[in-house]
Amino acid sequence: MSLLIELNDISYGYRAGHSVLDRVSLSLSANERLFITGPNGAGKSTLLRILVGLIKPLGGEISAFGQKRVSDADFHDLRCRVGFIVQDPDDQLFCPTVVEDIAFGPLNLGASREEALAIVDDVLDQLHLKHLRERITHELSGGEKRLVSVAAVLAMKPDVLLLDEPTNALDEENLQRLEEILLELPQAMILVSHDPHFRRKLATRTLELRAGKMSEAKQLPAKKCTASERARQQAESV
Amino acid sequence: MSHLFGHDQPLSAQGGGVKPPSFVGSFDPRVRVVAACLFAVMVVSLQQIEFALGAFVIAIATMLLTDLPLRLTLKRMAAMDGFIIVMLVMLPFTTPGTPMFSMLGADASKEGLLHAVLIGIRANAVVLMMLSLLSGLTPVTLGHTLYRLRCPAALVHLMMFTVRYISVLHDEYHRLRMAMKLRGFKARNTFHTYRSFGYLFGMLLVRSLERAERVLEAMKCRGFSGHFPMIDQLVFRRRDAILGATFFVMIAALILMDRIYVLAY
Amino acid sequence: MHIVDGALAPEVLIGGGVLAVAGLGLGLRKLPIDKIPATGVLSATFFVASLIHVPVGPSSVHLIMSGLAGLVLGWTAFPALFVGLLLQAIFFGFGGLTVLGVNTVNIAFPAVIAGFMFRGVVARSNPTAAAVWGGIAGALSISLTTLFVAISLTLSGDAFIPAAKLVFFAHIPIMAVEGFVSAAAVYLIMKVKPALLMTGDQANEYAVQSSIILAEQANEANNG
Repeated sequence: MSLLIELNDISYGYRAGHSVLDRVSLSLSANERLFITGPNGAGKSTLLRILVGLIKPLGGEISAFGQKRVSDADFHDLRCRVGFIVQDPDDQLFCPTVVEDIAFGPLNLGASREEALAIVDDVLDQLHLKHLRERITHELSGGEKRLVSVAAVLAMKPDVLLLDEPTNALDEENLQRLEEILLELPQAMILVSHDPHFRRKLATRTLELRAGKMSEAKQLPAKKCTASERARQQAESV
Repeated sequence: MSHLFGHDQPLSAQGGGVKPPSFVGSFDPRVRVVAACLFAVMVVSLQQIEFALGAFVIAIATMLLTDLPLRLTLKRMAAMDGFIIVMLVMLPFTTPGTPMFSMLGADASKEGLLHAVLIGIRANAVVLMMLSLLSGLTPVTLGHTLYRLRCPAALVHLMMFTVRYISVLHDEYHRLRMAMKLRGFKARNTFHTYRSFGYLFGMLLVRSLERAERVLEAMKCRGFSGHFPMIDQLVFRRRDAILGATFFVMIAALILMDRIYVLAY
Repeated sequence: MHIVDGALAPEVLIGGGVLAVAGLGLGLRKLPIDKIPATGVLSATFFVASLIHVPVGPSSVHLIMSGLAGLVLGWTAFPALFVGLLLQAIFFGFGGLTVLGVNTVNIAFPAVIAGFMFRGVVARSNPTAAAVWGGIAGALSISLTTLFVAISLTLSGDAFIPAAKLVFFAHIPIMAVEGFVSAAAVYLIMKVKPALLMTGDQANEYAVQSSIILAEQANEANNG
């Protein structure tokens, strides 16, 4: 198994003397679905943003696809190969129609208009979202927005996917669609999520970020789940 | 409020907050606004370089009595100078008069050079005084001040809403822009770039309007009926009057000397 | 595009000030109190436009989007853009106090003119045609602004004429860029929320239509 992404001793803090990340290391291999959990404000999103070079860490190094990433150009190249699905799909969808928004990524990668449109149709086919093709992004439901934002990132044919709280504000039906989609994808991915049910279904490995330190998470307790959790499991078993 | 405005951000509209205000910051904002306007109007009517320099010195002195970060102020002045440098450099060559030297076949005149220098000094004096007197205000205080100075209420309310939402929208712009970057977007001289910026701005507009509708609904839910309360703690004290008077006398003296000089020669 | 304090002749400053006050008065009369929140938020959006930098050749410029402001706001674009210029002048030192009137007239009048010329045709067109008209409105607004700046300089003395010409020609690429960006923005708005570009009656009509369309979509969704 080759390492796709490696973070070594990443440190970061917003204020002097107060570190959000304290020498955090992490690695991602092919075929992994790595979950990162931890309390609110533990720096999970910050870690993802550092990984793709949106913010510069105070210390540590980042390598991806067997290459050290330092300069802006390095990270631009990295961002073209690592698909980042941001927490709020509204931050991502800015084009008038679904087809244009999905074509945006391929166009940035240098595809011609025709190529981009062909990719859009492939991706929509793959995710069974053909019916949304001509819809206005602004008028999609929350769940549809999430699925389209995933499609838009997949259209760039990334080697690795990063998902920041992908299950936020998803209804039951769309949550299930998302789970199916992610399970079918061949890419390695890093997911930040609080949802234990979602994690149990998808995770191949789980790390916990707490007080700036990263540790292997304990196996999820089988019984200790919330009332809504239990209701959902019962509903499924029936 | 916003990282965009002001340098020292007091917690309350008056400027109490944690640290005590600077000497300039301790005066009633109304006096500061009026003084800045008066200074600007008078300085742009100065005709002599010597007196314009005098005004510039007053502006520097005022700046030294504020607690504004020097570097930022200088940077802003340099930005302003960047706007006018081309025009100032061209002036000597386009003003007829006594030739001084020639460059690339064009004669530079003494009159033109002096005119350019005069404009440069006046512009810098006004901007420096304005930044010194006013940029330490919070936008909210500015709104209260203009309201108390009898600016139309609608205009003041409009300004307050604008100020309130600039930072919100600027953050939203940043999130959208970051997400574009994540999908490999790089601004270039291409049609794709301009279209993307157009979509970005259009989407920002659409979302702003919907936000405004929600804001108005929320205001109506709290009983809004066409009246915005304005609560401020502006007080006009004796020292404010003294400052105003001193300022007026100084500037009037400069103007008077300037005029006498022009008439005498 | 901003003119700074100290360059223009007093007559030009006073003329600009008087025109600006007149424009503000007219604009504020068209601004009922319950429209203030919406206008303020839009005014903030146009302020943010001035913080967005787009590449032009080897350099970059910030957006102005005054044509779009005219299309969306009509006469109220005048006070909305004035507020932006006032904040820029006081907090950033861009422009100045005595030239505030001239600068407002130079930027807001072209916006209002472009708005009046193209509002009707944009609202009646399909998104693609509307984009073309919107682009023309955006480019025209900037051209007029540049022209007005050139006129303000020329009126202040013959020595400024070469500088005025330079200002005009240097801004031709910016006119094109503003035109392209405005066109795309108008296209998006016509697709997503055409009510933004419509005057009162049209907007009501549209609201009825769109609710019908939404209802139809909902039905289709249920059937599918």
